[in-house]
Amino acid sequence: MPDNRDSAEGAPIITVRAMSKRFGDFEALTDISIDVRRSEVLCLIGPSGSGKSTLLRCMNFLERYDEGEVRMEGELIGWRDDGAAPRRPLPSAVLREQRKHIGMVFQQFNLWPHFTALQNVAEALLRVKRLPRDEAFARAEAALGKVDLADKAGNHPSGLSGGQQQRVAIARAIAMEPRVMLFDEPTSALDPELVGEVLSVMKQMAAEGMTMVVVTHEMGFAAHVADRVAFLDRARLVACVPPAEIFGATPADERIRAFLQTYRERNVV
Amino acid sequence: MDFSFKVILHNLPFLLAAAKWTLLISVAGMAISIFLGIFICAARISRAAWLRRAAAVYISFFRGVPLLVQLLVFFYMLPHVGIDLPAMAAAILAVGMCSAAYTAEILRGALQAIPAGQTEAADALGMSPVWLWRRILVPQALRLGMPSLVNELILLVKVSSLASVVGIGELTRVAQNITGQTYRPLEVYIAAAAIYFLINLVISQLGRVAERRLQLN
Amino acid sequence: MEFELFHRYGPALLRGFGVTILCWVAGSIGGIVLGFAIACLYRWSWRPVRWLLQAYVELIRGTPFMIQLFILYYGGPYVGLVLSPVQAGILSFVIYGSPYFSEIFRSGFGSIPEGQIEAARCVGLGEAAILRRIVLPQMLVLITAPLTNFIIILSKETAILSVVTVPELLYETQTMAAETFTYVEPFLVLSLCYWLLVVLTSWLGQKVEHRVTRHLRRANA
Repeated sequence: MPDNRDSAEGAPIITVRAMSKRFGDFEALTDISIDVRRSEVLCLIGPSGSGKSTLLRCMNFLERYDEGEVRMEGELIGWRDDGAAPRRPLPSAVLREQRKHIGMVFQQFNLWPHFTALQNVAEALLRVKRLPRDEAFARAEAALGKVDLADKAGNHPSGLSGGQQQRVAIARAIAMEPRVMLFDEPTSALDPELVGEVLSVMKQMAAEGMTMVVVTHEMGFAAHVADRVAFLDRARLVACVPPAEIFGATPADERIRAFLQTYRERNVV
Repeated sequence: MDFSFKVILHNLPFLLAAAKWTLLISVAGMAISIFLGIFICAARISRAAWLRRAAAVYISFFRGVPLLVQLLVFFYMLPHVGIDLPAMAAAILAVGMCSAAYTAEILRGALQAIPAGQTEAADALGMSPVWLWRRILVPQALRLGMPSLVNELILLVKVSSLASVVGIGELTRVAQNITGQTYRPLEVYIAAAAIYFLINLVISQLGRVAERRLQLN
Repeated sequence: MEFELFHRYGPALLRGFGVTILCWVAGSIGGIVLGFAIACLYRWSWRPVRWLLQAYVELIRGTPFMIQLFILYYGGPYVGLVLSPVQAGILSFVIYGSPYFSEIFRSGFGSIPEGQIEAARCVGLGEAAILRRIVLPQMLVLITAPLTNFIIILSKETAILSVVTVPELLYETQTMAAETFTYVEPFLVLSLCYWLLVVLTSWLGQKVEHRVTRHLRRANA
């Protein structure tokens, strides 16, 4: 595998500073500060309801964070950066421009059922990147090839397995050539025997130097593929460290120990 | 424009009195609709092909012809074939017979939601078909179809206005008469519309309460 | 039976049928356009506007069509809105149909999983493109049946226009009946005409539904 990580490796591409998010009275995220570095794989783990999915969704403004900042390469995401007192959201055209560079993969795939796999991938290339038809479909085919689904291009989502659907969803995101990819529990809706094919596609992307933020319950993936692992508990960021410090010896924080304990009990092999 | 509330206030008692007839037509029409609808529904799913076909033709015809035309046919046809009904009775019958076609389909939809096992259990106990319908199927179908039946009743309140065309002094007709005397169509018809709206509001609220009651059991 | 009367009144009846079709088609198209606008406005506007739209929908749905027609036709001139019977008929159809159509569109909007729309936003598709490319094509499949159903209901409501002297089919039939003192045959034939119209329309609706659900069948094949 050629190593094409560039010289800027290690520099932060997304910076989150003192960010908070509430749903009514419920504190979903409290005072989160974390960096996503270029070409790294950052896994977000933690008990359900800890806020890890919300953190991910704030990074591309699918959820509006209330306080603090999320910046991608210095640019404030979602809000106008003019210092006005109650912040106002960016015009939707600007937000769309920002989102073009942030790919997202969902737990429920969210493919568009009335399009074929190829059309699902090509749609944004045609309408957002405004590529000519031939080029858009050629790029879409290449993206499907990357996730090993070139032969399923003409299938509708209903004619694909869950793992295949999720790989089409990944192809849809990478075809846009994003700077960062966000994964929201990409294997949680899959039957166990289909998890592997999706994870191996993700591993390959990591090896090619894609910057990835992954919310996951796959501890094996976090332990072996992640560069760093962030642990969230009850809306707070508890730790953000290399995987060895969490999965290796006994972790320092008692909350992490408890989480891994219940995790191991559930997954006795 | 001078919108005169005095005209409305002055004529409100007449309109409200007429609203009673509107209610009578719709409620009595609904009663006929449910009673007839049960039999049409039973015929529609009966084992005898000719019964099924007859029910299908009934439903298709009464749903395919405007109610206003049905009303006029009733009015001109009945005397022609020697049946002399009071106008009000003929209107109620026409409304009920038309609505029965819809009610039959509502009940058929509700029956499909009842597990076949219940019918099998009744058969296994040796229950007669009539008893099965009276005690098991119809009560459940009415309960399941309740929201749609309430909708149907609201629809009947609205279509009862058509009876004005054949001279029955219900709400719309009385509003027309008052307009003829006062030359104030805007005020009078808006008042009539408000009364229709309130009747339907009350019915839909009652329907919601009834639905909740039925769910608790 | 005096069916030879139809020979004499045939042209008038045909004209009436033409007016019926005109009011029906123009009213349906106008109602669909207005209903779609209401549904879109409801989806993308502030709460006070939504309340107003909701009130409009409930008021129109809670009152008889005939009363609405009377308010428009007889009440209209008092606020400077003088309409010919046919104009009043079509306009009242548009108003009467719009809330039902808007509810159909709203349920269609609601049937598309939010995740699909989020996914579209994530790849940078704009709201208009999302509506046109993602929401509408899928929605069409679901709303064709209720849409044709309501259009059929409207076809029957055209008969009510005769009350304000719109020269449509029922009106012409009544004229014929009054002038010739025959009632049974004209109304029987009239019923048959409406019935055929309805049967034909629902058959057409099924064809359309068959066409728009094409891709689903192909996908599941």
